[in-house]
Amino acid sequence: MLHLIKYNLLVKLKNFGTTFWPLVFPILLGTMFYFAFGNINDADFATVSVAVVRQEKADTLFLMFLDQVENNADQLISTKELTYDEACSQLENEQISGIYVVGETPSLTVSASGIPQSILQSVLSSYETGKTTIRTIVRTHPSGLWAGIRQMLNRQELLTEVSLGGRTINGNAQFFYALIAMACLYGCFIGFGSAVSLQANITALAARRCVTPTHKLKLILSEQISAFLLGYFDVIVLLLYLRYILKLDFEGQIGRMLLISFLGSLIGVSMGIFVGSLGKMKEGIKIGIILGISMVCSFLSGLMNNTMKDLVEKNAPFLNRINPAALISDAFYCINVYDDMGRYYRNLITLALMSVLLVTASFLLIRRESYDSI
Amino acid sequence: MSENIVQIENLVKRYGDLVALDHLNLKIAEGEIFGLLGPNGSGKTTAINCMLSLLKYDKGAIRIFGEDMRPDNYKVKQQIGIVLQNVAVFDELTVYENIDYFCGLYIPDKKKRKALVEEAITFAGLDDYRKMHPKKLSGGLLRRLNIACGIAHKPRLIIMDEPTVAVDPQSRNKILEGIKKLNEQGSTIIYTSHYMEEVEQICTRIAIMDHGHVIASGTREELKKMIKTGETITIEAIPLTEKNLEEIQTLPHVFDLHYEDQVLTVRCTGARHNLIQLLNYLQSQDITFGQVSSELPTLNDVFLEITGKQLRD
Repeated sequence: MLHLIKYNLLVKLKNFGTTFWPLVFPILLGTMFYFAFGNINDADFATVSVAVVRQEKADTLFLMFLDQVENNADQLISTKELTYDEACSQLENEQISGIYVVGETPSLTVSASGIPQSILQSVLSSYETGKTTIRTIVRTHPSGLWAGIRQMLNRQELLTEVSLGGRTINGNAQFFYALIAMACLYGCFIGFGSAVSLQANITALAARRCVTPTHKLKLILSEQISAFLLGYFDVIVLLLYLRYILKLDFEGQIGRMLLISFLGSLIGVSMGIFVGSLGKMKEGIKIGIILGISMVCSFLSGLMNNTMKDLVEKNAPFLNRINPAALISDAFYCINVYDDMGRYYRNLITLALMSVLLVTASFLLIRRESYDSI
Repeated sequence: MSENIVQIENLVKRYGDLVALDHLNLKIAEGEIFGLLGPNGSGKTTAINCMLSLLKYDKGAIRIFGEDMRPDNYKVKQQIGIVLQNVAVFDELTVYENIDYFCGLYIPDKKKRKALVEEAITFAGLDDYRKMHPKKLSGGLLRRLNIACGIAHKPRLIIMDEPTVAVDPQSRNKILEGIKKLNEQGSTIIYTSHYMEEVEQICTRIAIMDHGHVIASGTREELKKMIKTGETITIEAIPLTEKNLEEIQTLPHVFDLHYEDQVLTVRCTGARHNLIQLLNYLQSQDITFGQVSSELPTLNDVFLEITGKQLRD
């Protein structure tokens, strides 16, 4: 087995198709992203401008809450008091990201969707949750009111941007997560080569290997293992490059990032093996299929547009649940931005199940040793 | 008599309506260089692929070394070396690595394998190219590498499917010499080709195939005795009339003649003095002529007489 794995790795490492697409291309693309967007931290998130329209019977507690959020060291939002017409005009001209209309019940008006709008919404939601809590305290435990108000005003900390390492948030990070997801999926080129090299009805080399006394299962396993090892190695090299050469802020959570890369590589290689195992289709057509799948998946996960994933989530959320690139980039978000471990593991389990399904199907397709025609 | 190590009985292989192997029967004894000769599409490669269990077949039986050949009969596969028609090596590996890889599929022991790989390199004359990649090798060297990969583990039975296609004469001779040497070292060889000269040169027994079955088999001499042609005389640059042709046709032992572009080809039965008789006739008629040649029957003649077409049609 080691003999097979050693030579499989050597062949794949020296092959242009299995080296360029999964390793060199993502590194080049990552470098381009870096020069286009700068470091994730350099391009730190700008303070969100928001208008406050004060109505009669304005909720003064909300105005106090906004004041606290605005004066926080992170300067998450910047408010300016305007009339409703002035605010609408500035919103139209994109001078502000939203309008808080502060009456008895504060409301938010926005004209687009994106991170600034999400932050404004979060501020409002946070206030409403806090207010409900305080009402409950007044009803049930009046003596703890002051402590409750203090707690509510401190909620702003929950809205602080968080980085890849757990501190700040940046829209450009989406590109790098999608890039890593793409690199994982490009492992399909390695898997594809492996599947083709095992089918005697496709290549003479495969026929030559099939007539040897080496069990077909052993040949398949050695190919899958070496394809996966190489795919995983490529993604790790990319991660190291982004972290240590481009110095992107990926600090912390390395174990979890490696786990995502592990399952990401597995799904990429498995996809390639599966497409490579599909009948006697021409090799060019199969390459077209894997290239198409990986590009569409990467596109939908936000490789070319950082709002794409949100758009898909809004209009076809099911796609985000089955798109491997979206699952991979979302898993990165889970550990670096949301800190949502439930969602993180759900993404990983989905990736693992999809990989098992593809590998099993591929094995059933290529395990035969005799063919109807060659 | 040596033991039959390959036995094929009534093998039938169909591709839809096309019958590629039509009740093929073959027996190959240990120690032979057995030639499978036939034109392209006669079923040679299909027969080989069935023998190796790469192809499923519709009917019949194949026994190798006395055992039924099945895809999972690894004990039998262990003793077979295969040189496929298409060169099957890794472009990414060097000459040495390629041979080591394929040898490793048969011989797990590293030390033993190293010695065998070295032996195969020397045998194929690839010493100077061991670190080169296949893409940098000439067609002949590539074929030799293909052979080295197939024989490095010293198999008991070697199957070679047209191993000299598109090879220069020098490399071809080297390959043919090598095959004889392998046979002398104890391997039984099955050699398929549509080059009758090669088959005549090295094979101890020959089966001629057409339309998926054997139309004649035996040693070279036995095959040639099966046909009427004993001698083929060719005379170039000779002006002949219809009357001359009719008279030549009546000469003793002449049974067929062909005249085109002033080249006369006369086929005679095995009797002696055919050439002298023909030259005497031409002299008596004062007919001038150019180059004259006389050839003993070839396997092409055998094929021609049995099927009515040339071997390379």
